[in-house]
Amino acid sequence: MPNQDLTFNEVKVLKSLLSGKTKPDDIAKDSNMKVETVIQSAFFLEKKGLVVIEEHTEEKYCLTEEGLDYATSGLPERKIFDFIQSNGGKVPLSLLKEKFPEFIDIGIGWLKRKKWAKLDDEYVIALDAPLGDDERLLKELSDKKDSCLIDKEEHKDSLNQLKRRNLLTVREDSYIVIKLTDLGKKVAKDAKIEDYDEITKITPQIIRNKEWIGRKFRRYDIDIPSKEVYPAKKHPYKRIIDEIREISLQMGFVEIRGEIIQSSFWNFDALFQPQDHPARDMQDTFYLNSESKLPKEYVDRIRDMHIKGWGGSWDEKLARKNVLRTHTTSLSIKYLADHPDPPVKAFCIGRVYRRESIDPTHLPEFEQLEGVIMDKDLSFKHLLGYLNQFYRALGFEKIRFRPGYFPYTEPSVEPEIYVEGLGWIEIGGAGIFRQEVTEPFGIKYPVLAWGIGVSRLAMLMLGLNDIRELYRSDIDWLRKKPICIAKPRFLQRRFLNACCIFTL
Amino acid sequence: MPVVSLPYEDLERLVGVPRELIIEKIPFLGADIERIEEDRLDVEFFPNRPDLYSVEGVARAIKGFLSIEEGAKYYRLYDSDVELNVDDKVIPIRPYIAVAIVKDVLFTESSIKSIMNLQEHLHKGLGRNRKKLAIGLHDLSKVSPPFTYTAVSPSFSFIPLDFDEEMSMQEVLSRHPKGIKYGSIFENFSLYPVILDSNDNVLSFPPIINAELTRVSEDTKNLFIDVTGTDPIVFKALNIVLSAIYERGCNLYSVCIKREGKNIKSPDMSYKEININIEEFRSLIGVDFTESTIIKSLKRLRYDAEIKDKMVHVKIPPYRTDILHSRDVIEDAAIGYGYDNIKSEFPITFSIGKSDDIEILSRKLSDVMVGLGFFEVMTFTLTNRDKEFSLMRREEIPGYIVLKNPISTEHTMLRGSLLPNLMEFLSYNKHRELPQKIFEIGDIVLDEKTLQNLAFVSMHSNAEFAEIRSYLDALFREIGIDVDLKESNDPAFLNGRRGDIFYKNKKIGVFGEFHPEVIWNFQLDHPTIGMEININNLTI
Repeated sequence: MPNQDLTFNEVKVLKSLLSGKTKPDDIAKDSNMKVETVIQSAFFLEKKGLVVIEEHTEEKYCLTEEGLDYATSGLPERKIFDFIQSNGGKVPLSLLKEKFPEFIDIGIGWLKRKKWAKLDDEYVIALDAPLGDDERLLKELSDKKDSCLIDKEEHKDSLNQLKRRNLLTVREDSYIVIKLTDLGKKVAKDAKIEDYDEITKITPQIIRNKEWIGRKFRRYDIDIPSKEVYPAKKHPYKRIIDEIREISLQMGFVEIRGEIIQSSFWNFDALFQPQDHPARDMQDTFYLNSESKLPKEYVDRIRDMHIKGWGGSWDEKLARKNVLRTHTTSLSIKYLADHPDPPVKAFCIGRVYRRESIDPTHLPEFEQLEGVIMDKDLSFKHLLGYLNQFYRALGFEKIRFRPGYFPYTEPSVEPEIYVEGLGWIEIGGAGIFRQEVTEPFGIKYPVLAWGIGVSRLAMLMLGLNDIRELYRSDIDWLRKKPICIAKPRFLQRRFLNACCIFTL
Repeated sequence: MPVVSLPYEDLERLVGVPRELIIEKIPFLGADIERIEEDRLDVEFFPNRPDLYSVEGVARAIKGFLSIEEGAKYYRLYDSDVELNVDDKVIPIRPYIAVAIVKDVLFTESSIKSIMNLQEHLHKGLGRNRKKLAIGLHDLSKVSPPFTYTAVSPSFSFIPLDFDEEMSMQEVLSRHPKGIKYGSIFENFSLYPVILDSNDNVLSFPPIINAELTRVSEDTKNLFIDVTGTDPIVFKALNIVLSAIYERGCNLYSVCIKREGKNIKSPDMSYKEININIEEFRSLIGVDFTESTIIKSLKRLRYDAEIKDKMVHVKIPPYRTDILHSRDVIEDAAIGYGYDNIKSEFPITFSIGKSDDIEILSRKLSDVMVGLGFFEVMTFTLTNRDKEFSLMRREEIPGYIVLKNPISTEHTMLRGSLLPNLMEFLSYNKHRELPQKIFEIGDIVLDEKTLQNLAFVSMHSNAEFAEIRSYLDALFREIGIDVDLKESNDPAFLNGRRGDIFYKNKKIGVFGEFHPEVIWNFQLDHPTIGMEININNLTI
């Protein structure tokens, strides 16, 4: 019976070790494996107590570029010597200087030191020049890559000499040696290699030629995780927005969309915001340098309503000033003005702008959901009914209603949802449009309206403490955030409280 | 919205119930609890209820809400022989003034503080930073009536509050902290308003500062109160202050204001009556209220009410500034009834939902992009010239929208293109693993029109033109649209590796390999490719 704990590769390594190999390179060559595979198998074998892996270091000799050059063309002294000999054994020094300008000094020095030649007056006379140990070493090192076979003791002087001549460098090299343990030897002897011949990677060839018949498949450990991969996906915040859109559509609402740039008339005046209201300050609202034409048919009625309600005067010029919409209510009222006949059910999800500095709980732009229903016989209880249904659809079970205040609704309500660990969280605003808002546009029936700070909802559902993360995301957050969002996560309450990021 | 501090000690004494009950109930009166502190409760009240900007006003409302003391509180007003003359000169500057005398007050440190806070909240909200109205409290014993409200030259001098030397009004505006803060109110006037007594002692330089002479302290027993402003709302504001002080016990006296030949008795603490059909309550709220429920609910909100022939006769307290018509009263009735007691009902209005066309298209486009391995991002629509043009090597185009009052140099205009934001996104994430492939579908604004674009970029060491060309083909193949491509001259991309995209002979976008300088401008150093198209006119 083959040992279940061994793989084919491990057995091959064992067998190779048994034949006397110790180095991964040799084992790899011997058993037709990759070196990395051998080492990997060796580590597994070591864990199983069948081998020990020893780490050795050794000095490795490498020829420098110069050394390599001399190994093929000969040392300078050898070249000079050969020249002298082929020219009769006696040559004037001046000729040599002319012939070997680049290394004549070194060459003569070594000729003298090795006693291969002597200087006689202006002549150099060749003596005997047996092949030196240093020359043999040079040759050997340039032929063989592996310098380990050189006996360091025997060639000590030559090695030092070559080192000094900068023809040779020494490097510390570490390598591993694998040795069988006693148990390993036994297992290696007992194992039959054919018992372990498993298929690892299935190839087309194996399938086509049915090579798999009668063979085993390598077993994998299913507990070991592989490299993490992340699917591309929509932005987590967009998914929440889409969910809200889906709920609104299911409830029969028509989606509307409109301009980011609005006149103050539609953004404020049409909604009965007094012209000296603080929200209209340059401090709180982004203004543009341009103006809009006012809808003639409504201007007088709006003026009358303002003067009646707020006293003082109403300035057409202020109403013409363009702003970045501070809420999408401007779109709702415009839509209602264009569709004054019941029933109307419309919603809008869009960016709104407030003149706020950026910090973890404030942004100058964020998303808002807004919805309106206009029909005969609608009342406040229907508004509460809608809100109940809406928050339930989003997965919030406990909902309560508090009185609220918005300049353009009466009665007004602030729905709150209960979140475990946080308590009651205010999540939107709602109300019935005031007559001052509906009458000028000829809207005769009650308009139920609500707004939700979608960003706040998203922070709650995504467990964010910094709202900037939605718009300046870390790509790793996008990669790792699962598509299925769990229940609202724990957030620090102070962050949510500070997030005054919606009004109706 | 103003955050009003309610010290428990005061609150519990004035209401007569423990703080826990108050904390539990106060949100249902119409308020957001901001903080629960050791010694006090900080509550944000709505701007339509300035009568709740003091612990006294809150106590009055809570007592009604908890049925401890229901219905209207009537204010006994004694007549005094004090007169205040309004000089015609002051009328073009600050025309309105309301005044009253309060006697036999028992001030403590905390009750003075409460009234001062109320004053400040009213200045800020109703008073629009003292422009519309400002309130002054004076120690009556320090001055002698009759009083005059007039206008004097800026060189007129007196000792302002918190100083011990005389200053001209001009100096007050330039040296006194309050003068520096509110002086701009008088930018266009050559005379400044002042309230004087019969000996020409200054009481106040409204709305800037009172005189040191009439400083109110714990020893003050009798008060003279003025509210000046540019709107008749000064009378309501006075009522809010008087009714607050009244909660702690005092006697109110009227003053005769002589103005433009008329005598006006101030304050006017009478209850105005409004008559509302009972059906209006029922139809607006959707609850079949009984007569007694309506009466009870209104009384909890401190109205007095009775019903005759289906008409509810409601008496509105003099401190309420927000009751414009019947709806405002009905809302209060609903609050008195309790929002939680209203049985909610889903509206039966039948309709068929319909998504916006652009949204339908966006979803299809994002399906394709996600399928191609792109992550969706969402970025700001506010941007700046540098990012929009310079970093992209692009010329400024006409039609981009600049803000008049930006809040930071980072956000000075609306974006006309998504690609700069995507590049910026890559630079935020430059330390993250590559490849990075991202897309955005979002609003851009050009020529004041809001449009929707799709843009995507891909950055990795092997990014090159062929890749973006493949994505382009895949995208248009998937949504079934034929486009024409022409060599582009968009300087954001490399010459010879960029194209303009035409749909029905109209240019809708651009694509290509980003110019190395653009990549480097965004502090990136890997080849990057991108594409952007406008999606508004694609018909699929």
